[in-house]
Amino acid sequence: MLKFRESLVSSHHNYVLNQMLTPGFVVGNPDLKEGFFFLADVVQPGESGSRIYCRIYDSQGNFVLEAEPDRIVTNPLGCLRQPLSGGYRMVLPSGEPLLSVQTESFANGSLTRIQGKLYDRAGKLRMEPHFDAVLVHGESVLWLKDPFRKR
Amino acid sequence: MKMKQNSTWQGVWVFGDYRNYFQNRVTLQLIAKGRLLARHLGTEVTVLLLGSEIHQYAMEYTAHGADVIMAVDHPALKTYQVETYVRVVSQLVQNFRPEIFLAGATAFGREFFPRLAKRLNTGLSADCVALEIDPENRLLIQTTPAFGGELLADIVTPEHRPQMATVHPGVFVERVHDHQATARILYPEVDLQAEERVQLIRSRPDQTRKGGLENAEVVVVGGKGMGSKENFQMLFELAQLLGGDVGATRPVILSGWTEESRLLGQTGKSVKPKLLITAGTSGAVQFTTGIQGAETIIAINRDPHAPILKMADLGLVGDARTVLSLVLEKLKKRL
Repeated sequence: MLKFRESLVSSHHNYVLNQMLTPGFVVGNPDLKEGFFFLADVVQPGESGSRIYCRIYDSQGNFVLEAEPDRIVTNPLGCLRQPLSGGYRMVLPSGEPLLSVQTESFANGSLTRIQGKLYDRAGKLRMEPHFDAVLVHGESVLWLKDPFRKR
Repeated sequence: MKMKQNSTWQGVWVFGDYRNYFQNRVTLQLIAKGRLLARHLGTEVTVLLLGSEIHQYAMEYTAHGADVIMAVDHPALKTYQVETYVRVVSQLVQNFRPEIFLAGATAFGREFFPRLAKRLNTGLSADCVALEIDPENRLLIQTTPAFGGELLADIVTPEHRPQMATVHPGVFVERVHDHQATARILYPEVDLQAEERVQLIRSRPDQTRKGGLENAEVVVVGGKGMGSKENFQMLFELAQLLGGDVGATRPVILSGWTEESRLLGQTGKSVKPKLLITAGTSGAVQFTTGIQGAETIIAINRDPHAPILKMADLGLVGDARTVLSLVLEKLKKRL
């Protein structure tokens, strides 16, 4: 039998993760008040763009920022959120890129690609660039059928 | 492939031919039919998708009713090459063992599917106009025109698997796009390393071809009752005024009045226009099979007992050339 990888695909919007499509995914635990998480939440019909929530750290385990889909909510280092074609990117004050999120629209749906090298509070690598999207490591749910958080 | 145990072959597969996606709807039509067949068999419909950067099509096929997408996304598959595709797909079929495998009877399907059937050592019914499951033995009944379209033959493949068929565009109706749909998506690890004997240097579209008769919203069809090749040209004039295209019956093709690519019916194309006008066609079953999806049919025939007048929404009894001359005159004045 051939080996295969399995995921879920939505007809409306997907993210590219580990070279697969997925309507949404979670790395880490978004319900905890502290610690790393990255939630690429399900985008429902009628919504556009992406729905990214995250709390990220640097490779030394120092807190960098916490963000919601439209803004950075906790920002001790003064990181910037800059618009990109079809999305945005977040950069350190030095200009060093942290994360980019870009959504490509088709006739009947859309696809979001995420790029970034993200670490947890222990300084462990949890997400890294992989081809034109990301690869994730550690505790994760690779596909969500329904939204994790309500708008 | 000789079947050893019936139960080891399960599922309905549809080959995802996404070239000219928004015009070529046959894959979507086959997903809809495949889903019905799969439900009848208590299984799933899977769309097999080969290519590079195929995410958009995986989403479209999900929206149109696929239960499962089998995706092989690799730069080596970006351009269709028959040897590669046959090798990859035969690997997948031998591993996943679908009991039914369908493809559109397009130029692509007509080249690719016979080679695949040969590689898999199974049968193939080409240009099917109907597909049903035999409730007694779960076999796929594949209905295909035979003897130049004079007969319809019901074919089954009792011993070999998968049961393979190509189907005319327009025979089945696609499901409505569902923005809420989800499907499982599988990414099999296939061997793409083999060297091919044929190398593609370049390809380019044929600039002489237009949007296609199958997708025209207005179709004007002429039969032998048009009388001559010169009279047949009136149909092109009418089609141009109405923004449509021209189809023909087999006797017209045999007389050399127009090219074979315009043939409608069991051995030709199937159309589903909003408006179809027939002129000088009697309504033989091998022709009407190709027009039964038309929303409105207007038929012109001098014989009041012609079968086409029974099928038409509006029938005009009269000489097709005379009626068409009057229609053209009126239309030209109005436009």
